[in-house]
Amino acid sequence: MPHKLIYLVSFALLVFSCTQDKKLPYLGKHETRVVDGKTDTVYHQIPPFKFLNQDSVWVSEKDMAGKIYIADFFFTSCPTICPKMKTQLVRLYERYADNDQIRILSHTIDPAFDRPYVLKKYANRLQVQAPRWNMVTGDKQAIYTLGEKSYMVTAQEDKNEVGGFVHSGAFILVDKQRHIRGIYDGTKEDEVNHLIEDLEILLKTN
Amino acid sequence: MKSFLLAALALSLFACQSKEEILHEQYVIEGRIQYENNCANCHQSNGQGLRNLYPAISKSTLSAPELARLIKQGRKSATGYMPANPKLQAIDIAEIITFMRHEWGKNEQTFSFDSTRIVLKGIN
Repeated sequence: MPHKLIYLVSFALLVFSCTQDKKLPYLGKHETRVVDGKTDTVYHQIPPFKFLNQDSVWVSEKDMAGKIYIADFFFTSCPTICPKMKTQLVRLYERYADNDQIRILSHTIDPAFDRPYVLKKYANRLQVQAPRWNMVTGDKQAIYTLGEKSYMVTAQEDKNEVGGFVHSGAFILVDKQRHIRGIYDGTKEDEVNHLIEDLEILLKTN
Repeated sequence: MKSFLLAALALSLFACQSKEEILHEQYVIEGRIQYENNCANCHQSNGQGLRNLYPAISKSTLSAPELARLIKQGRKSATGYMPANPKLQAIDIAEIITFMRHEWGKNEQTFSFDSTRIVLKGIN
Protein backbone atom coordinates (compact mmCIF):
# COMPACT_ATOMS: atom_id res chain seq x y z
CA MET A 1 0.00 0.00 0.00
CA PRO A 2 1.68 3.25 -1.04
CA HIS A 3 -0.42 5.19 1.45
CA LYS A 4 0.88 3.24 4.36
CA LEU A 5 4.42 3.73 3.18
CA ILE A 6 4.01 7.47 3.06
CA TYR A 7 2.64 7.47 6.58
CA LEU A 8 5.49 5.33 7.74
CA VAL A 9 8.13 7.52 6.13
CA SER A 10 6.65 10.73 7.41
CA PHE A 11 6.32 9.22 10.87
CA ALA A 12 9.95 8.16 10.80
CA LEU A 13 10.92 11.63 9.65
CA LEU A 14 8.94 13.15 12.47
CA VAL A 15 10.57 10.92 15.04
CA PHE A 16 13.96 11.66 13.59
CA SER A 17 13.41 15.41 13.63
CA CYS A 18 12.23 15.23 17.21
CA THR A 19 15.25 13.34 18.43
CA GLN A 20 17.68 15.66 16.72
CA ASP A 21 19.39 17.74 19.35
CA LYS A 22 18.77 21.43 19.46
CA LYS A 23 22.13 23.13 19.23
CA LEU A 24 22.90 26.28 21.15
CA PRO A 25 24.50 29.18 19.30
CA TYR A 26 27.85 30.72 20.11
CA LEU A 27 27.11 34.37 20.82
CA GLY A 28 29.45 37.24 20.15
CA LYS A 29 31.98 37.98 17.48
CA HIS A 30 33.58 35.03 15.71
CA GLU A 31 37.08 35.27 14.41
CA THR A 32 38.72 33.06 11.88
CA ARG A 33 42.29 32.08 12.26
CA VAL A 34 44.41 30.20 9.76
CA VAL A 35 46.64 27.62 11.39
CA ASP A 36 48.82 25.40 9.16
CA GLY A 37 46.68 26.15 6.16
CA LYS A 38 43.45 25.23 8.01
CA THR A 39 40.82 27.79 8.85
CA ASP A 40 39.72 27.75 12.44
CA THR A 41 36.77 29.60 13.93
CA VAL A 42 37.50 31.22 17.27
CA TYR A 43 34.44 32.00 19.32
CA HIS A 44 34.01 34.96 21.62
CA GLN A 45 35.34 33.97 25.03
CA ILE A 46 35.10 35.54 28.49
CA PRO A 47 38.66 36.74 29.23
CA PRO A 48 40.50 35.95 32.46
CA PHE A 49 39.22 37.86 35.51
CA LYS A 50 39.93 38.05 39.21
CA PHE A 51 37.49 39.32 41.84
CA LEU A 52 36.88 38.93 45.57
CA ASN A 53 33.82 36.97 46.63
CA GLN A 54 31.60 37.15 49.73
CA ASP A 55 34.13 35.12 51.71
CA SER A 56 36.96 37.48 50.68
CA VAL A 57 38.39 34.71 48.53
CA TRP A 58 39.73 35.37 45.04
CA VAL A 59 37.55 34.03 42.27
CA SER A 60 38.98 33.80 38.78
CA GLU A 61 38.28 32.10 35.48
CA LYS A 62 40.20 29.12 36.85
CA ASP A 63 37.40 28.51 39.36
CA MET A 64 34.95 28.30 36.46
CA ALA A 65 37.05 25.78 34.53
CA GLY A 66 34.92 22.77 33.68
CA LYS A 67 31.81 24.51 35.01
CA ILE A 68 28.77 25.85 33.25
CA TYR A 69 27.86 29.13 34.85
CA ILE A 70 25.19 31.78 34.90
CA ALA A 71 26.50 35.34 35.20
CA ASP A 72 24.57 38.45 36.18
CA PHE A 73 25.13 42.04 37.33
CA PHE A 74 23.41 43.54 40.37
CA PHE A 75 23.93 45.57 43.52
CA THR A 76 22.72 44.76 47.00
CA SER A 77 20.77 47.99 47.59
CA CYS A 78 18.98 47.78 44.22
CA PRO A 79 15.29 48.45 44.69
CA THR A 80 14.12 47.78 41.14
CA ILE A 81 14.93 44.68 39.10
CA CYS A 82 17.46 42.87 41.30
CA PRO A 83 14.85 41.41 43.65
CA LYS A 84 13.17 39.76 40.68
CA MET A 85 16.51 38.51 39.36
CA LYS A 86 17.50 37.14 42.74
CA THR A 87 14.14 35.37 43.06
CA GLN A 88 14.92 33.58 39.80
CA LEU A 89 18.54 32.86 40.72
CA VAL A 90 17.41 31.31 43.99
CA ARG A 91 15.16 29.08 41.90
CA LEU A 92 18.15 28.01 39.77
CA TYR A 93 20.33 27.56 42.86
CA GLU A 94 17.75 25.26 44.41
CA ARG A 95 17.13 23.34 41.22
CA TYR A 96 20.80 22.53 40.76
CA ALA A 97 21.66 22.16 44.43
CA ASP A 98 23.24 18.76 43.82
CA ASN A 99 24.93 19.51 40.52
CA ASP A 100 28.57 20.42 40.95
CA GLN A 101 28.93 21.31 37.26
CA ILE A 102 26.88 24.46 37.66
CA ARG A 103 27.83 27.78 39.20
CA ILE A 104 26.27 31.21 39.62
CA LEU A 105 28.49 34.29 39.34
CA SER A 106 26.89 37.58 40.42
CA HIS A 107 28.96 40.73 39.87
CA THR A 108 28.19 43.84 41.88
CA ILE A 109 28.18 47.08 39.92
CA ASP A 110 28.40 49.09 43.15
CA PRO A 111 31.74 47.79 44.46
CA ALA A 112 32.35 50.88 46.59
CA PHE A 113 29.42 49.90 48.81
CA ASP A 114 29.24 46.18 48.14
CA ARG A 115 32.40 45.11 49.92
CA PRO A 116 32.85 41.42 50.63
CA TYR A 117 31.28 41.73 54.10
CA VAL A 118 28.18 43.40 52.59
CA LEU A 119 27.94 40.61 50.02
CA LYS A 120 28.40 38.09 52.83
CA LYS A 121 25.44 39.48 54.76
CA TYR A 122 23.38 39.49 51.57
CA ALA A 123 24.32 35.91 50.73
CA ASN A 124 23.61 34.79 54.29
CA ARG A 125 20.15 36.30 54.20
CA LEU A 126 19.53 34.57 50.87
CA GLN A 127 20.88 31.38 52.47
CA VAL A 128 23.28 30.69 49.62
CA GLN A 129 26.96 29.82 49.63
CA ALA A 130 30.16 29.98 47.62
CA PRO A 131 31.51 28.34 45.54
CA ARG A 132 28.15 27.34 44.06
CA TRP A 133 27.03 30.95 44.12
CA ASN A 134 29.83 33.48 44.07
CA MET A 135 28.96 37.13 44.60
CA VAL A 136 31.97 39.13 43.54
CA THR A 137 33.32 42.65 43.91
CA GLY A 138 36.45 44.38 42.66
CA ASP A 139 37.69 47.26 40.57
CA LYS A 140 34.67 49.16 39.29
CA GLN A 141 36.01 49.83 35.82
CA ALA A 142 37.13 46.24 35.43
CA ILE A 143 33.61 45.04 36.29
CA TYR A 144 31.93 47.52 33.94
CA THR A 145 34.29 46.70 31.09
CA LEU A 146 33.86 42.97 31.59
CA GLY A 147 30.08 43.45 31.62
CA GLU A 148 29.87 45.57 28.51
CA LYS A 149 32.66 44.14 26.38
CA SER A 150 32.60 40.50 27.36
CA TYR A 151 29.15 39.66 28.70
CA MET A 152 27.53 42.15 26.31
CA VAL A 153 25.20 43.70 28.91
CA THR A 154 24.69 47.21 30.23
CA ALA A 155 26.30 48.12 33.54
CA GLN A 156 26.82 51.75 34.39
CA GLU A 157 26.52 54.37 37.06
CA ASP A 158 23.61 56.73 36.51
CA LYS A 159 22.64 59.31 39.08
CA ASN A 160 19.20 59.73 37.49
CA GLU A 161 18.31 56.11 37.93
CA VAL A 162 16.54 54.83 41.08
CA GLY A 163 19.31 53.34 43.19
CA GLY A 164 22.01 55.19 41.22
CA PHE A 165 22.95 52.54 38.69
CA VAL A 166 21.59 51.34 35.40
CA HIS A 167 22.09 47.73 34.49
CA SER A 168 20.44 45.05 32.50
CA GLY A 169 18.56 42.21 34.12
CA ALA A 170 20.23 39.68 31.88
CA PHE A 171 21.36 36.20 32.84
CA ILE A 172 24.25 35.06 30.69
CA LEU A 173 24.71 31.34 30.14
CA VAL A 174 28.40 30.49 29.81
CA ASP A 175 29.69 27.05 28.86
CA LYS A 176 32.70 25.15 30.20
CA GLN A 177 35.02 26.83 27.69
CA ARG A 178 33.70 30.29 28.72
CA HIS A 179 31.74 30.83 25.52
CA ILE A 180 28.41 32.63 25.80
CA ARG A 181 25.60 30.28 24.74
CA GLY A 182 22.54 32.31 25.66
CA ILE A 183 21.33 35.59 27.16
CA TYR A 184 17.98 35.72 28.99
CA ASP A 185 15.87 38.28 30.81
CA GLY A 186 16.42 37.34 34.43
CA THR A 187 13.41 39.29 35.63
CA LYS A 188 10.93 37.04 33.83
CA GLU A 189 10.06 33.55 34.98
CA ASP A 190 9.31 32.17 31.50
CA GLU A 191 12.60 33.52 30.11
CA VAL A 192 14.40 31.76 32.92
CA ASN A 193 12.50 28.60 31.98
CA HIS A 194 14.14 28.89 28.55
CA LEU A 195 17.48 29.25 30.25
CA ILE A 196 16.81 26.00 32.13
CA GLU A 197 15.93 24.21 28.88
CA ASP A 198 19.15 25.43 27.26
CA LEU A 199 21.16 24.60 30.34
CA GLU A 200 19.87 21.02 30.16
CA ILE A 201 21.05 20.80 26.54
CA LEU A 202 24.42 22.16 27.53
CA LEU A 203 24.71 19.64 30.35
CA LYS A 204 24.28 16.83 27.85
CA THR A 205 26.67 18.14 25.22
CA ASN A 206 29.22 20.36 26.89
CA MET B 1 -48.79 51.26 50.11
CA LYS B 2 -47.34 49.42 53.07
CA SER B 3 -45.53 46.92 50.95
CA PHE B 4 -44.21 49.71 48.79
CA LEU B 5 -42.70 51.42 51.85
CA LEU B 6 -41.25 48.17 53.00
CA ALA B 7 -39.66 47.58 49.64
CA ALA B 8 -38.24 51.08 49.60
CA LEU B 9 -36.83 50.61 53.09
CA ALA B 10 -35.28 47.33 52.12
CA LEU B 11 -33.84 48.87 49.02
CA SER B 12 -32.32 51.81 50.87
CA LEU B 13 -30.85 49.48 53.49
CA PHE B 14 -29.36 47.35 50.81
CA ALA B 15 -28.02 50.38 49.00
CA CYS B 16 -26.50 51.80 52.20
CA GLN B 17 -24.75 48.61 53.09
CA SER B 18 -23.37 48.07 49.65
CA LYS B 19 -22.07 51.61 49.43
CA GLU B 20 -19.65 50.87 52.23
CA GLU B 21 -18.90 47.52 50.78
CA ILE B 22 -18.24 49.03 47.39
CA LEU B 23 -15.85 51.54 48.92
CA HIS B 24 -14.02 48.77 50.73
CA GLU B 25 -13.86 46.73 47.58
CA GLN B 26 -12.47 49.70 45.68
CA TYR B 27 -9.74 50.06 48.29
CA VAL B 28 -8.89 46.38 47.99
CA ILE B 29 -8.81 46.40 44.19
CA GLU B 30 -6.75 49.58 43.98
CA GLY B 31 -4.57 48.35 46.81
CA ARG B 32 -3.81 45.15 44.96
CA ILE B 33 -2.60 47.12 41.94
CA GLN B 34 -0.51 49.44 44.12
CA TYR B 35 0.92 46.44 45.95
CA GLU B 36 1.90 44.76 42.69
CA ASN B 37 3.56 47.93 41.42
CA ASN B 38 5.34 49.00 44.56
CA CYS B 39 5.79 46.10 46.95
CA ALA B 40 5.60 42.74 45.16
CA ASN B 41 8.99 43.20 43.52
CA CYS B 42 10.68 42.32 46.80
CA HIS B 43 7.95 40.96 49.05
CA GLN B 44 6.49 38.85 46.18
CA SER B 45 2.91 38.71 44.97
CA ASN B 46 2.01 36.19 47.66
CA GLY B 47 3.54 38.32 50.41
CA GLN B 48 5.99 35.57 51.35
CA GLY B 49 9.15 37.56 50.69
CA LEU B 50 12.42 35.93 49.67
CA ARG B 51 14.12 33.83 52.34
CA ASN B 52 15.66 36.15 54.93
CA LEU B 53 16.43 38.85 52.42
CA TYR B 54 12.95 40.29 52.02
CA PRO B 55 10.63 39.71 54.97
CA ALA B 56 7.29 37.98 54.52
CA ILE B 57 4.86 40.83 55.00
CA SER B 58 1.99 38.41 55.00
CA LYS B 59 3.19 37.63 58.53
CA SER B 60 3.82 41.22 59.55
CA THR B 61 2.77 42.11 63.09
CA LEU B 62 3.03 45.86 62.57
CA SER B 63 -0.01 48.03 63.23
CA ALA B 64 -1.58 49.96 60.38
CA PRO B 65 -0.07 53.33 61.45
CA GLU B 66 3.36 51.73 61.80
CA LEU B 67 2.98 50.17 58.37
CA ALA B 68 1.90 53.46 56.80
CA ARG B 69 4.96 55.24 58.12
CA LEU B 70 7.27 52.40 57.10
CA ILE B 71 5.92 52.38 53.55
CA LYS B 72 6.33 56.13 53.23
CA GLN B 73 9.70 56.55 54.92
CA GLY B 74 11.45 53.25 54.37
CA ARG B 75 13.89 51.88 56.90
CA LYS B 76 17.59 51.37 57.26
CA SER B 77 18.75 49.07 59.99
CA ALA B 78 21.51 46.64 60.79
CA THR B 79 19.45 43.78 59.47
CA GLY B 80 18.19 45.31 56.27
CA TYR B 81 17.07 48.13 54.14
CA MET B 82 13.76 49.13 52.66
CA PRO B 83 13.60 52.10 50.30
CA ALA B 84 11.26 55.00 51.05
CA ASN B 85 8.29 55.57 48.78
CA PRO B 86 7.96 59.34 48.60
CA LYS B 87 5.76 59.09 45.52
CA LEU B 88 3.04 57.13 47.28
CA GLN B 89 0.28 59.39 48.56
CA ALA B 90 -1.92 58.84 51.62
CA ILE B 91 -4.69 57.37 49.50
CA ASP B 92 -2.31 54.86 47.87
CA ILE B 93 -0.98 53.77 51.24
CA ALA B 94 -4.50 53.50 52.69
CA GLU B 95 -5.40 51.21 49.81
CA ILE B 96 -2.28 49.09 50.17
CA ILE B 97 -2.86 48.54 53.88
CA THR B 98 -6.54 47.75 53.34
CA PHE B 99 -5.51 45.25 50.68
CA MET B 100 -2.94 43.64 53.00
CA ARG B 101 -5.51 43.32 55.77
CA HIS B 102 -7.95 41.73 53.36
CA GLU B 103 -5.43 39.40 51.79
CA TRP B 104 -3.43 38.20 54.76
CA GLY B 105 -5.00 39.58 57.91
CA LYS B 106 -8.53 38.22 57.49
CA ASN B 107 -9.51 41.74 58.41
CA GLU B 108 -12.13 43.47 56.29
CA GLN B 109 -11.82 46.84 57.94
CA THR B 110 -10.91 49.69 55.64
CA PHE B 111 -7.88 51.67 56.74
CA SER B 112 -9.22 54.99 55.57
CA PHE B 113 -7.66 57.80 53.65
CA ASP B 114 -8.30 60.13 56.61
CA SER B 115 -6.58 57.83 59.10
CA THR B 116 -3.59 57.53 56.80
CA ARG B 117 -3.42 61.28 56.35
CA ILE B 118 -3.39 61.81 60.10
CA VAL B 119 -0.70 59.17 60.59
CA LEU B 120 1.48 60.65 57.86
CA LYS B 121 1.05 64.25 58.98
CA GLY B 122 4.37 66.06 58.88
CA ILE B 123 6.02 63.37 56.74
CA ASN B 124 6.72 64.20 53.15
